[in-house]
Amino acid sequence: MPERTTHAEAEGTQPSASVAWPIELDAVTVRYPNGVVALRDVSLSIAAGEMVSVVGLSGSGKSTMIRTINGLVPATTGTVTVGPHVVSKLRGRALRELRGNVGMIFQGFNLADRASVYQNVLVGRFAHTPTWKSMLGMASSGDREIVLRALDSVGMLEKVWGRAGALSGGQKQRIAIARALSQQPEVMLADEPVASLDPPTAHSVMSDLARVNTERGLTVLVNLHLMDLARQYTTRMIGLRAGEVVYDGPASTATDADFEAIYGRPIQSRDRLGK
Amino acid sequence: MIAALAAFTALTTIPALGGVEIDLESIARNWSNGAQRVGMLLTPDWSILPRTWEPMYQTLSMAMVGTVISAALAIPLSLWAARPTNPNGLTRRAVRFSLNVVRAIPDLVYATILVAMVGVGTLPGVITLVLFDIGIVVKLVSESIDSADSSYMEAGRAAGGTQTQINKVTALPQSWPVMASQILYSLELNVRISAILGIVGAGGIGRLIDEVRGFYRYDALSAIIIEILVVVLIIEVISNGLRKRLR
Repeated sequence: MPERTTHAEAEGTQPSASVAWPIELDAVTVRYPNGVVALRDVSLSIAAGEMVSVVGLSGSGKSTMIRTINGLVPATTGTVTVGPHVVSKLRGRALRELRGNVGMIFQGFNLADRASVYQNVLVGRFAHTPTWKSMLGMASSGDREIVLRALDSVGMLEKVWGRAGALSGGQKQRIAIARALSQQPEVMLADEPVASLDPPTAHSVMSDLARVNTERGLTVLVNLHLMDLARQYTTRMIGLRAGEVVYDGPASTATDADFEAIYGRPIQSRDRLGK
Repeated sequence: MIAALAAFTALTTIPALGGVEIDLESIARNWSNGAQRVGMLLTPDWSILPRTWEPMYQTLSMAMVGTVISAALAIPLSLWAARPTNPNGLTRRAVRFSLNVVRAIPDLVYATILVAMVGVGTLPGVITLVLFDIGIVVKLVSESIDSADSSYMEAGRAAGGTQTQINKVTALPQSWPVMASQILYSLELNVRISAILGIVGAGGIGRLIDEVRGFYRYDALSAIIIEILVVVLIIEVISNGLRKRLR
């Protein structure tokens, strides 16, 4: 079992995000250049501060959906609204500013393994730092402070000068959460954050995400393919199948039949993580 | 495969087909000439050594300065020549094309032309080394960035970073071991190449080589060759040691 250090006292001193943002998808369709339609006419409304899971098998369009929210994947038609911004209208600097307000973590952690933990978390300050300052390696003392606090809040402060590649999977995902938190975001996106982790580590990373929602009040959207994690950690569940919303309702009371409808097949043992 | 190679070799060496002429008989015909030279090479004349210190120092300085300047230029160029660190196809292809041109020209050609342009001395030698080093370092480093995992780029973009920020803060430390290793390799190559450049007037120990060869002092030449060998080996040992510490 990997260490599970929480620094509750440090948590209190962390500057909390201003206000969480709502997310609205209106008739969003994504067609990739190779002709594959990943998302079909999806309309959703997520209130500020909600903890939402997006459940579906691989290929159901959940990775695509989460990426339309920060514009990593542009919507082919329809509009995505995040807080005060219409994502599809943003270009260049305005798009980077929106992304600065939306934290994201990934299945594969997406850390630069040979760079230090500090450098990896500093990535979260990009949208708040002029390029020339990054070029000269001049992080402001405020940025430094934010990076160290973010690391402290996930219990990884003592690894700050180590190489990111030397860490275990669970530790890497916590560094990635610290990177997203150092953005001081209004929205947190997580794309299959625990799919590469063993069950105990997966549970601790999921509860880190749940704390981001309850303690900082962020809107959290997390992609999952495991039904028990969705039921346990999120309040609302959106089911995707072949790019269409097939379920939208409370997560804890979703029945096995609901999951079978989302998966499009009977439930198997690999649909649950277990303890 | 081997048969094809043999056939190709045979075909290209038949003069009747316009192939290159390889006259093996000439080795036997000129044997006595060769034997005399080999004899002199086998008895090195160490008295030349004091005259080599100055040009040898010059050669090493050229190699060092050339490596430092080329490294300063090759680091940003490598990032611009690789796909993950420069998604803009137009500028990436422009950088790659220019470097292909730079690499296509042999070092001695650069040295000869530069000696004519800027005069005899170490300056044309250093410029030659810089051009040569940039060609190989940028190619090897950018290819290694291309083939390495670059998923951290997506995180940098998702955080709202510009490509320059992502490159400086993550891509540079990520590819630094490869860069440093190739830069050390270019230093090794530079010592070898700069020993030769003097022959066309680009400074260093090569000038002395050209001089003693002109006087048929093959025994002195042999002493200089052994000295270069020792210097190259020392540089290799040092750079191997440094490279191990990079891992």
